[in-house]
Amino acid sequence: MRPMRKILLVVERDLRRFIQYKFLVILRTIWFGAQVAFFGLIASRMVVPELADIYFEFYIAGVVIMMLYSSSVFIGYDIFEEAEHGVFEYLLSLPVSRRELVLGRSIGGGIRSFILVGPIIAITLAIIGWANLPNLLLAFTALFLFAFGVSGMSITIAVTLKSGDHFDIFMGVLSAFIVRLSTTMYPQAFVQDASQAYAILSQFNPVTYASDLFRWGTGIERYLTMSPMPLAALIGIVIFFFLFTLVGVTFYEKRLEGGGWQ
Amino acid sequence: MPIIHTIGLTKRFEDVVAVDKLNLSIDEGEIFGLLGPNGAGKTTTVLMLSTVIKPTQGTAKVGNHDVRTNPDAVRKLIGICFQEPKLMWVSTPWDVLNWHAKVCGLSTSERKHRVKSMLTEVNMWEHRRKRIHGLSGGMKKRVEVAKILIQRPKIAFIDEPTSQIDVVGKHKIWDMIRELRDDGSTIILATNELYEADVLSNRVGIMHKGRMLVCDTPKKLKDSILGGDIVEVQLEKAADNHVLDELKGLEEVVEIVKIRPDDLRVHLNKVEKVVPKIVNLFLNAKLSISSIRMSEPSLDDVFVHYTGLTIEEAEKKSKTK
Ligand SMILES: Nc1ncnc2c1ncn2[C@@H]1O[C@H](COP(=O)(O)OP(=O)(O)OP(=O)(O)O)[C@@H](O)[C@H]1O
Ligand SMILES: [Mg+2]
Repeated sequence: MRPMRKILLVVERDLRRFIQYKFLVILRTIWFGAQVAFFGLIASRMVVPELADIYFEFYIAGVVIMMLYSSSVFIGYDIFEEAEHGVFEYLLSLPVSRRELVLGRSIGGGIRSFILVGPIIAITLAIIGWANLPNLLLAFTALFLFAFGVSGMSITIAVTLKSGDHFDIFMGVLSAFIVRLSTTMYPQAFVQDASQAYAILSQFNPVTYASDLFRWGTGIERYLTMSPMPLAALIGIVIFFFLFTLVGVTFYEKRLEGGGWQ
Repeated sequence: MPIIHTIGLTKRFEDVVAVDKLNLSIDEGEIFGLLGPNGAGKTTTVLMLSTVIKPTQGTAKVGNHDVRTNPDAVRKLIGICFQEPKLMWVSTPWDVLNWHAKVCGLSTSERKHRVKSMLTEVNMWEHRRKRIHGLSGGMKKRVEVAKILIQRPKIAFIDEPTSQIDVVGKHKIWDMIRELRDDGSTIILATNELYEADVLSNRVGIMHKGRMLVCDTPKKLKDSILGGDIVEVQLEKAADNHVLDELKGLEEVVEIVKIRPDDLRVHLNKVEKVVPKIVNLFLNAKLSISSIRMSEPSLDDVFVHYTGLTIEEAEKKSKTK
């Protein structure tokens, strides 16, 4: 069997599992609705009136990235459930290499969050429109890589910590840092105003890259983002993806044996 | 040329040596029974041979590939039926088996055919759409066993296939394991059940505390340690040492195994001559015999002989450990 087919089978498995989380899909959609209807509409009132509409658009684009991030993280929780049921050992005994396994799972995790966030992306695009097709396609590619990378990161952290409780707390703290210290919710100019250090840190953040690229694809970047050229963001996303997919493989292999899961 | 060959295979978990310098050869096409009390290291051995965990020291060749340096090649040859069924509770038996068949590279037509026929064989066809968490322990085990029967790997590791399974199911599964071997698979059967190992295995190895104590055909093992005949005597009360010494003094008696203080298993020669002597001996000592029967030696006796434990003691020991 070719490696590609094996990777696809691993992806298939994660997708099948995901379809069973109907409750989660419903909850996420409600969450999005609340963010937009309450926070988005109310917070835009705090912006100078002539920019309120633009901020509203800026904000929903950011919420999409936040959702993509948190849904991609979800695969880490699956890992704990699998460790608990010993399914890990089963996966390790299959005629699939560790590399194919991690790659498949990162991709599966990424695709899952796209399925979850997909309808919301569609709604967002209907509200704010898009720049042009090539921009949009490039932005989508970047979002895919972002989602795969976040899944890979989640897997890596899960197998490193090996404790469901620690993972839960760690991911909470991580998201406070990685999401807040990015341009997901506020334009780069304001981050810069607040602190030079914040601005620098936010420039090395995959969530910033994803937000910038998505806004660039939708055409709203011309109002509010500092960097009109998304090349840096694109390179950042690609590095992020490779880093966690490759690091993930190494960790997965090293940390799995010997058990020790809590 | 053995299909599996271990060289000083060792696994240490912190301070526990689960498998201790194991040297073992398994021939192609045989069913090899891996026996031993709880905690002997059977499952750990199987997990190392199937590349799920890495050895601490030593290594093993499985189908001529080293488990350390070429695990991907090993995994193409093997399949494993786990002691604890490894199934996700969100899936159904059909999902689990179908995906397993796909990932093991079965063609579409073959997959459909085998999944259906094996689900039927293990009596799970009508439960194929139920959630795993709604299945009984034995049902989960049936699904786990079906995995390997669908896969039909060149080398099959089967860990306690019939624990939790009812009597009818047991015989069915034993038949299917034999068929798997007859189709050309080599089978490593880890089990606590001596009877199971006896009826299925071409050879058995008895492990204890991570070491292989002895390894041969069940028949040779039974012959190796004992007088050819066995007499089991059940007494109404415990026999004291004096009587036991007297019994040991009989020239035909080879060995006495105390199953319980009032239940003795005597290995001996020339059974027809010695039974009257035994009866007289107990009657003289005012011990009434409640039953007496002659039997073949079993693997239980081999186990007791080599581990120095009765099965009950062995289990007690590993619990207090
Ligand atoms: N992941 C692990 N971490 C720590 N110790 C372990 C681990 N797995 C097994 N052990 C220890 O290794 C020893 C051998 O265990 P193993 O599961 O191989 O025994 P077994 O022969 O399969 O027993 P059983 O008949 O109960 O299935 C035991 O002392 C066990 O406690
Ligand atoms: Mg075991």
